Amino acid sequence: MRAVQILVDGFAISSLYGLAAVGFTLIFGVSGVLNLAHGGIMVVAALIGWAAAAEFGLNSYAGTGLGILAGLATAYATYLIVVRPIQRSRAIRPEETEIFVLTGTLLWGIMIQVGMAYLFSDNPVTIRPLVAGVVNVLGVRTPANEILIAIIAWALIGLLWLLVNRTRTGKALLGASMNPRGVTLLGYELTRIYFIAWTIYGLLAGIAGVLLASFLGVGTANTGQLTASAFSIVVLGGLGSVSGSLIAAYVVGYLETMTAYLVAPTLRPIPALILLVLVVYVRPQGLLGRR
Amino acid sequence: MAFLRSRVLWIGAAVVVTAALLPLWLSAYLLGVLTAAYYFGVFAMAWDLLFGFAGEVNFGPTFLIGLGAYTAAILNSEFGLPIPVCVVAGALAAVVGGILLAVPALRLRGPYFGLVTLVAVLLLQNLIVIFAGVTGGEIGMTVPDVLSIDEKVNYWFALAFLTICAVLLYGLSRSAVGLILQASGQDAVEASALGFNVTKHKIAAFCISALFSGTAGALLIFYMGTASINTVIDLAIAVQIIIAAVLGGRRTILGAALGAVVLIVANEFLRPLGQLNTFVVSAVALAVILFFPEGLLGYALHRGERE
Amino acid sequence: MTILTGARRALLAGAVGAVGLFPFGALAQSGDTIKIGVIGEESAVAGASLTKAAVMAADEINAKGGLNGRKVEIITYDDHSSAADAVRAFQRAVSQDKVVAVIASYISEVVLAIEPWSARLHMPFITPGAASNLISKAVHDDYDHYKYTFHGWLTSAFIAQAVCDYAKDEFVGPRHMTTAVVMSEDAAWTKPLDEAYLECLPKIGLKVLDHIRFNPDTSDFTPIFHQIEDAHPDVIVTGISHVGVQPTVQWHDQQVPIPMVGQSSQATTSTFWKDTNGAAEGVITDTAAAPGVALTPSTVPFVTEYEKKFGVTPSYTGYASFDMVHVIAEAIERAGGSTDPDKLVIALEATDHLGTMGRIQFYGRDNLYTHAMKYGPGLVTTIAIQWQDGKQMCVWPRDKANSKIAFPSFIKLHASAN
Repeated sequence: MRAVQILVDGFAISSLYGLAAVGFTLIFGVSGVLNLAHGGIMVVAALIGWAAAAEFGLNSYAGTGLGILAGLATAYATYLIVVRPIQRSRAIRPEETEIFVLTGTLLWGIMIQVGMAYLFSDNPVTIRPLVAGVVNVLGVRTPANEILIAIIAWALIGLLWLLVNRTRTGKALLGASMNPRGVTLLGYELTRIYFIAWTIYGLLAGIAGVLLASFLGVGTANTGQLTASAFSIVVLGGLGSVSGSLIAAYVVGYLETMTAYLVAPTLRPIPALILLVLVVYVRPQGLLGRR
Repeated sequence: MAFLRSRVLWIGAAVVVTAALLPLWLSAYLLGVLTAAYYFGVFAMAWDLLFGFAGEVNFGPTFLIGLGAYTAAILNSEFGLPIPVCVVAGALAAVVGGILLAVPALRLRGPYFGLVTLVAVLLLQNLIVIFAGVTGGEIGMTVPDVLSIDEKVNYWFALAFLTICAVLLYGLSRSAVGLILQASGQDAVEASALGFNVTKHKIAAFCISALFSGTAGALLIFYMGTASINTVIDLAIAVQIIIAAVLGGRRTILGAALGAVVLIVANEFLRPLGQLNTFVVSAVALAVILFFPEGLLGYALHRGERE
Repeated sequence: MTILTGARRALLAGAVGAVGLFPFGALAQSGDTIKIGVIGEESAVAGASLTKAAVMAADEINAKGGLNGRKVEIITYDDHSSAADAVRAFQRAVSQDKVVAVIASYISEVVLAIEPWSARLHMPFITPGAASNLISKAVHDDYDHYKYTFHGWLTSAFIAQAVCDYAKDEFVGPRHMTTAVVMSEDAAWTKPLDEAYLECLPKIGLKVLDHIRFNPDTSDFTPIFHQIEDAHPDVIVTGISHVGVQPTVQWHDQQVPIPMVGQSSQATTSTFWKDTNGAAEGVITDTAAAPGVALTPSTVPFVTEYEKKFGVTPSYTGYASFDMVHVIAEAIERAGGSTDPDKLVIALEATDHLGTMGRIQFYGRDNLYTHAMKYGPGLVTTIAIQWQDGKQMCVWPRDKANSKIAFPSFIKLHASAN
């Protein structure tokens, strides 16, 4: 009974972790950016999605859609206001660009968090589940919404896989992550590729934020945690590796769930952290990391 | 070189003397702000030593600071040990932490090093939250002892500490060891070709940075009477330290202290904004990164060089 | 030469900056205004309520002519839910803004951090919402130093007592409940709360089957609810403040068939319904007062006025903060207009104020919890409210109740109940 509970509970949370982490690693892979404002994008999507429905009375589908768009807009803002100016700045030495991008996105993330808290308070909010009610999964009473979330997460990941492996745009993305200059020689404009990458990222993060809000609830206080979580998973899985991130997401998700059920809810984040330490000491490039 | 050093010495002495006289007319509250700023200055200088000279971007200076601070705080709160013992213990804890961090981290290149330092901060933060019973978790904990209740005494203590650290760190940066560090930082291959043990020197840089950070962290706790994640561990603090060093001018050591003071004073200045003061400071810091990456002292010095 | 110029330029900039601080050095005008510092957490619903209500109270006093002609001015600070920020704000309030008293925070960890500073700086200080027993116990243990601290809300022990009292009246009696699980966040205020729960629950006939303390950072409560359900208790007794929306929503979505009662600070605010999209239906929590419940003649007018001004109903800290401003004002009057800290302390100890929460008095040196707010019939008992259809309905005490307890359909009470 407990095993089934763990299986079901862990699956949904891992899928959500995976969705968020995949976007994070994609952006790193393609444009070399470790976006520390990641949590901020998810929180914006969640809060706007909630506000649209609760404050302005839109139905939950419209609210959710608006939330996702808000996430996308924030992602664009992150790229255009913070990342691109730093990358193009002549005042910064090329070998220092990464540090400045990291610091810049972190600052931007803080600005988002404080700005949102000012507008909405730091109270977590929830988005009304898209499907109500519970279903019985192998004897475990599970909210139907949770199942839907797992399905959506996998559908999106599947779509992403198709995009990257079967379409020209996708292959260009992949190429850009390996050799930006080479891709331009093939006639692709890098700007357009980056734009596409950030669009995909914004959508993924936005959807993850909205789904998380309907499943567990999200508030500005979670911003740092969300970034840290995506970030830890991506380090575990290997920077730039989408499949690595997915595997790591499930490893972390299940480790946490098992700890919460079998040991104590208080100690939930510990095993994942210990694993992170081990990985950093033994195999710093992660499970499937390339660089 | 000697000419330059003596000028810096005279200007530095003038600044310190002026600062020492401030308690004569500034309010207790402002002295308190500057006191915290001085400790922050030590954080920033310690970071600059590591980054500016050893070339290692440490995203988790607060890992070292936090270790020093919380070790001291817990020893004082749970076991009632006297302040000097706690501070020394804190400094040692930070150094040990520094070594533990440096050993795996220095094997990595590129973004991974920064990542590891970030991970270290996250780990410490999570540990503090999980053991909230002892550490006060996210809200923070109180320590029963403080250095002094008198604002003036606290101020002079912090100023003295900052001055000593500045002298030591600046001297180190200009010494033979410092030059080796700088060489290792800028071109590790050549430095080792010249026969210097790059890794050993970098680990030494980490330990020195840790020593100063940990001590300053512990002292800060005994000044404020509280320890909390968002004063000594949070990534926002780490970023502020980096900003302070960037603002002041990297690789100048003294610039970092200047940047720290400017940043903290600005932060307090904006306190009446209430919720939004963090927002404004972050926005300004972002602007600094975008438009002013060389920092105050950096521009001042480079302009000199160019002419 | 040019290097010198550059460095000198930097030095000049620093000097100018220091000179620029001079205006701050000038003494703040004392004049005929009575300044009260209020430190709240603007991003948190309860913390924001605290400051708003205080400002309202000051406006009310000033509208009636002030305190013997002197204006009351509230200076607000945001401590960002951080003990260190709160200490800094407190220091600023005392040294820079020259306040005569401070009302601060609903977070116990923050209050405990400020308390030593109130002792060191001799500044009268009241918390309108924190609950830890340690706050007032410190006053008892070292009266001469800590006498400046007052506890303007019930201590955890009394909150637990209130919860036990209504559990006895509503659950053990009419609904024949026999077992409970205690679920609380791991924070300073819940340590004494849980101790008191574990003591009083068996006394009223509820056997405690399990005691779960979770990390305040928890966002996924599924394992916790599964663990609770496996124990088959009749009721879940809560102690939550840092969290609220998330466990409540998940309780609702997972259709956990066990009612949740106890202390849920976030559930005392009117925004809770919207934040949880109605999942709050059926949740019972202890609170200071509620809209439409006339605990005292001033309760309903206060709520109405607050709602008119701010668009939401006050959280429990709002009632307390409003009352505490009046308490301080009365104390100053009692002290003959003096704002001397020691005289104020004596005056505050003599408080007997009919506020919005009830009749407010503080315990004296003879009690273990010196300067804590007195609990009991005729004084402050708090009420229990249940969220029904988007409204907070009072369900206890019976003489103040304006509704009966009703649970959502997924709650399965034992066959012997109802």
